[in-house]
Amino acid sequence: MIKQGSDICIIKSNNFHLPYKPFILLILFLLSKEKGSAGNLLSEINSTKKEALEFIDKIDQSKENSLWPNVKLKLFYDNLKLNLEKPGSFYPGRSTNFCAYGALSYLIMEKDPLGYVKFMNELYDKGEANFNNNHFKPSGAVMKAAGTLKFKGVLDIRHAEQMWFLVLADKFKGYLNFFDKKFNEGDENSFWAATNLAKFDRMVNKMCGIHVKAVGSDLIKPWVKDPYSYLSKRIDSNIVSLYINNRIIHKKNHDKVKFSIPTHFIILKKISKQDNMVTLRYWDYGGETQMQVSPRTLKKIIFGIITIDK
Amino acid sequence: MIRQLFIILITCSLLAMSCSTKIVSTNIYQEQKENLNKIESRYEKINPANHFSLAYTDKKFNIISLEMISDTLTRIYEFNINERRLADTLIKYNYDTAGIYFLIRKMRESKVTWINSFDYYVNDQPQQLIILSIKPVTVRYIFSPPKYVALAYFRTAQSFDEKGRLLDSRRTKQVRKIKGQVFYKITDRICYTITDKYR
Repeated sequence: MIKQGSDICIIKSNNFHLPYKPFILLILFLLSKEKGSAGNLLSEINSTKKEALEFIDKIDQSKENSLWPNVKLKLFYDNLKLNLEKPGSFYPGRSTNFCAYGALSYLIMEKDPLGYVKFMNELYDKGEANFNNNHFKPSGAVMKAAGTLKFKGVLDIRHAEQMWFLVLADKFKGYLNFFDKKFNEGDENSFWAATNLAKFDRMVNKMCGIHVKAVGSDLIKPWVKDPYSYLSKRIDSNIVSLYINNRIIHKKNHDKVKFSIPTHFIILKKISKQDNMVTLRYWDYGGETQMQVSPRTLKKIIFGIITIDK
Repeated sequence: MIRQLFIILITCSLLAMSCSTKIVSTNIYQEQKENLNKIESRYEKINPANHFSLAYTDKKFNIISLEMISDTLTRIYEFNINERRLADTLIKYNYDTAGIYFLIRKMRESKVTWINSFDYYVNDQPQQLIILSIKPVTVRYIFSPPKYVALAYFRTAQSFDEKGRLLDSRRTKQVRKIKGQVFYKITDRICYTITDKYR
C-alpha cells in the first residue's frame, strides 16, 4: 500500500468558508482551555494478539447482516484479520477528519486487540455493542454509510475500519461537533468527524481505561520550555501522542501567513537530535513517517502532548 | 469602539466574500500540454520502482519537498534544488536520480507545484491515477484564497456527464469527488479542477 494522507484533519478550507473563520476561531479560543489529566476511571484492560486471532478463527464469518447494507462480509473479516496481524495498518483515509480515531485505534490495538474484535463482531451482528463499558448504538445513517466511503485510498476496501471510524465519530462529541452532530453523506470530511484535544483525551480514557496526561490546548501551545527534552524523557516509558499543526510541515499552499491551529493527531515513535536538528519518527495513516525539523519548528507545531501509560 | 470594530469585521467579511482569485489563463493544459504530459509519463515510469512524491513548497520554485515512500516508512526531506544533499539522498535510497532531476526541472518550467500518485478502487480492485498541481498566474485580492489547477491523469478512459463532470462509473450518474473536489473533462482520461490547496 502506498501511504497517503497527512491531510489536515480538523479544518479543511472547502468546508470552512472564510467569512466564518473569525467566529469559529473565537469559539475555539473560548473553549480551548482544556488541559490536565483524565483520571483512571476504569481498571486497565489488556489482551493479546494471540487471544484475538484465536477468537476470530472460531467465529462464524459467513453471516450476512442487513443492518449494515453496504458492508461486504469478506472485506469486513479480512480487514479485522489485517488489523490484528498489522496493528499499525489502520488507515483513516485520504481527506477525512478521522486522524484522531486512527491514533486512538493504534492505542487500542496496543492495549486490547481481543476487545476490539469482539466489539466489532458484536456490532456487526447486533448493530450495537459495548466497548469497555461504553455502549455504542450508531445511527441508521452511519450504518448505511459504512462500506460506501470512496476515494479515500485503501480505506475504500477496509469495511471494518470504515465502520469503526464512523461509529467512533458518531459516539464521541466535542465542541467542534456542536453545529454538525448528525451524520450526512460526506460528513467524514467535515466538522461532524473533527476532534479537539479534550475530546481525544476523553476518548482514550474511556476506551482504553488508562491514565491520560495532557498538556496544551486547542489554541495555546503547551508551557513546555524545551519540547525535545520533554518528549525524549517520556517516550521510553509512555506512549506519546501529539496534537500538531500539520500545515507547517506539510504545506498545502504557498501563503506565508497561516492560521496557527492544530490540525492532526500522531503517535510519536522516536525522537532524536543531531546538529541542532530534531528527527521525528511518528505513526499516522497506516504507517510511519520520518522527518527532520528544527527545535524552533518543533515548538511551533506542537499544541498538545498526550502521555499515556504503557 | 466596539461598534467600529464590528463594522470593520463586517466589511472584511464582505470583502472576503465578494473578491475571489482570478486565474489569468483559462487554457493552462493546452498551453503546456507537451511539458505536462512529459512530466506525467516520466513520473509514471519511475514511480513504481520506488514510490515518491515531489512538491515545490516556496513561491519561487527553489525548495523541493521529497517524500520517499516505502511499505514501512515514509521519509520526508526538504531541499534547495541546487543542494548536493538532494542527489546524495536519492543515490543513498536507490532512486532514479536522473529521472527525478528531470521532473524537478520540468516541474519548475511549467510551475507544477506537486506530483503524486493516488490509489483508488473499482469493484474492489486497485487502480492508480496521477495528480499534478499547477500554480497559475492569478489576480488575487487581499482576503482571497490562493488558486491552483489540479490535473488528474487516469490510466483508462473515464465517464463524464453532459456538464463534463467526472462520474463514478458508466453505470451511475454519481459525480466522483477527489479530495472533495469535482473534476471536469479535458480528455477521456485527463480532467481538472480548481482548488485552493495544491495537495
